[in-house]
Amino acid sequence: MRILLVEDEEKVSRFVIRGLTEESFAVDSASDGLTGLELATTYNYDLIVLDLMLPELNGTELLRRIRLTDHRVPILMLTARDAVSDKVEHLEAGADDYLTKPFAFAELMARIKALLRRGSVDRQNVLRVADLEVDRLSQQVRRASRRVELTAKEYALLEYLMANAGRVLSRTMIIDHVWDQSFDGATNIVDVYVRHLRSKVDDGHDTRLIRTVRGVGYKISDEADS
Amino acid sequence: MNTRSIRFRLTVWYAGLLASMLVLFGASVYIGLGHYLKLTLTDSLTKEARQIGETLLVNVSVSGEEYVTDEIKEHLAPELNGLFVRVTRADGSTLYESGLPKDGSFNPGNVNAPRGDSTQVSSRVERLPGGVDLIICAVPFTSRDESRFLIEAGAPLKQSESVLHGLLLTFVVGLPVVVAVAIAGGYVLMRRALAPVGEITRTAEQITSRNLSERLPEAKTGDELEALSIALNRMIARIEHSFRHVNRFSADASHELRTPLTVLRGELEGIAQRPNLPLDVRETIGSTLEETERLSKIVESLLAISRLDAGEALMTREQFDLAELVTDTADQMRLLAEDKQIALKCAATGRVEVEGDQGRVKQVVVNLVDNAIKYTSEGGKVEISVGVAGGSAVLEVTDSGVGIPSEAIPHVFERFYRVDKARSRQMGGAGLGLSIVKSICAAHQGRVSVESSEGKGSRFRVELPLANGQSRRSQ
Repeated sequence: MRILLVEDEEKVSRFVIRGLTEESFAVDSASDGLTGLELATTYNYDLIVLDLMLPELNGTELLRRIRLTDHRVPILMLTARDAVSDKVEHLEAGADDYLTKPFAFAELMARIKALLRRGSVDRQNVLRVADLEVDRLSQQVRRASRRVELTAKEYALLEYLMANAGRVLSRTMIIDHVWDQSFDGATNIVDVYVRHLRSKVDDGHDTRLIRTVRGVGYKISDEADS
Repeated sequence: MNTRSIRFRLTVWYAGLLASMLVLFGASVYIGLGHYLKLTLTDSLTKEARQIGETLLVNVSVSGEEYVTDEIKEHLAPELNGLFVRVTRADGSTLYESGLPKDGSFNPGNVNAPRGDSTQVSSRVERLPGGVDLIICAVPFTSRDESRFLIEAGAPLKQSESVLHGLLLTFVVGLPVVVAVAIAGGYVLMRRALAPVGEITRTAEQITSRNLSERLPEAKTGDELEALSIALNRMIARIEHSFRHVNRFSADASHELRTPLTVLRGELEGIAQRPNLPLDVRETIGSTLEETERLSKIVESLLAISRLDAGEALMTREQFDLAELVTDTADQMRLLAEDKQIALKCAATGRVEVEGDQGRVKQVVVNLVDNAIKYTSEGGKVEISVGVAGGSAVLEVTDSGVGIPSEAIPHVFERFYRVDKARSRQMGGAGLGLSIVKSICAAHQGRVSVESSEGKGSRFRVELPLANGQSRRSQ
């Protein structure tokens, strides 16, 4: 998978490239709009990540020009602006998704994966991590073959963690996915729900599957503590 | 009626002034006329007396006294004309005295005898029994044969008094009427002249930080009011300018903070994900990340507030049921309450249709309920109610928590204000939650208020306009 990153902030560019490389993507990068356009029209990328404010040729214009020649490649916009009108404008101009700075890398990763997956939805009906099993059809959860009773929200939270097993999910991502943005304030709702979920899923078992990654978020994993 | 209004005061002043001017004028006319009438009466009486002397008494030695009395009776007919005539000889004896006048207004017999031997024309007013004032003119006269007489002619003052009475009556009746008409006219005139003031006041009342681009109506009358409205408009323009400036500053600042924050966060996350980190490094990185996250939230909130306050059209407008939204949100937050053994009650009766940005309104509910739970100790209770009151949708969140000290109440909606600095920081707040609530409410033309007693709890009340009066309460 080859990804083009057009971002003029060198430092942002650097950690995004590093993160994507760690996830085994091949990454090309450009630090201005014209170079970005040149790369985008020369090579075939599986996905383009585009910053909105670029020298030479701004992100909006670059987006339009790329769309003139390539209608298919998924484009993810990065921006420090989050006015709804901007969002709408760019989605109409052909962006596939939109991420506001500052973002958690995990969120960027999740969105990139979602865009790459699009069209070929591989939705497993049963998610497994160690001896924890989530059946998406019957919405039943078993740990070591024993039924675990969850509330709707707890189930949604667990399913989200399981679908991204091994990956750290930020509180913001969890709130956006399980609740909605309105809860993304001062509330510690995620922590409270994770604690409840943990007591139902992990209590009485030797391996604790739901892990806290301090400062980043939560993940579900059966790997030995890293 | 507002007795302190310019209109009222000016009308009162003007009416008072007019009334006193009229009274003054009336009094001088009255006194002047009285004088004048008395003077004319005196004049004509003197003339009469003189005539008696010159035509009748001049040859009294020839014509005889009989002739004089007959002539007076015949030509002057004092009884008929209500006059008093008396001719006295030099020795004090009466040559002629007129009889009781026909209208019986006075009795000539009651008139005093002339005093001494006056040699000059004089006049006096005598009050007779019965309250009749008689004005009497005395004219000394010497006939050809050198006999001296005093001729007196008199008439009741009443004649001129009745004219004065009429005048007084006209004044007493006319003056209030004139003043009343003046008051009414003045009031109407004032209303017309001051109408632009009312309009300016109404518009000025409606101008808030959210619609500073509006201006007052400028009446093109060229008068003081036009000057006033122009001056006020210039002032609003200056306020708007500085407001914009402050707003743009906080928007720009938060905007500029985002890129460094992104870098900070990305780099730190990169480190945090590395395997085999020493535990203390992992802890430090985690703690730094938490602070980065908090910083990001503050930046986000600040940006959101400045956007909302600038009235940027970032709101999607749709009609929705506030009661349903609140009930759902409360259910989603129930676990937070249960976690602290707080009883969370939600009373929503019927549909309460409002219009606005559902996500933003939900944020209001989340922030208020979250706060209520945060500041209520274990075992307490939080009650939410939604309803319609006074033509508005009303949401109330009541808790049995720590409450807010009364001196802090006016400030709780200010940015970065914390009631208990140590406590709220420990709870992770930045002091922006209630500011956001206020900004969202204002962006919906609504308002938020709080009443609280320390130690007993607080009640936050949000009022939002109903959607086009389409609210039905089905209780």
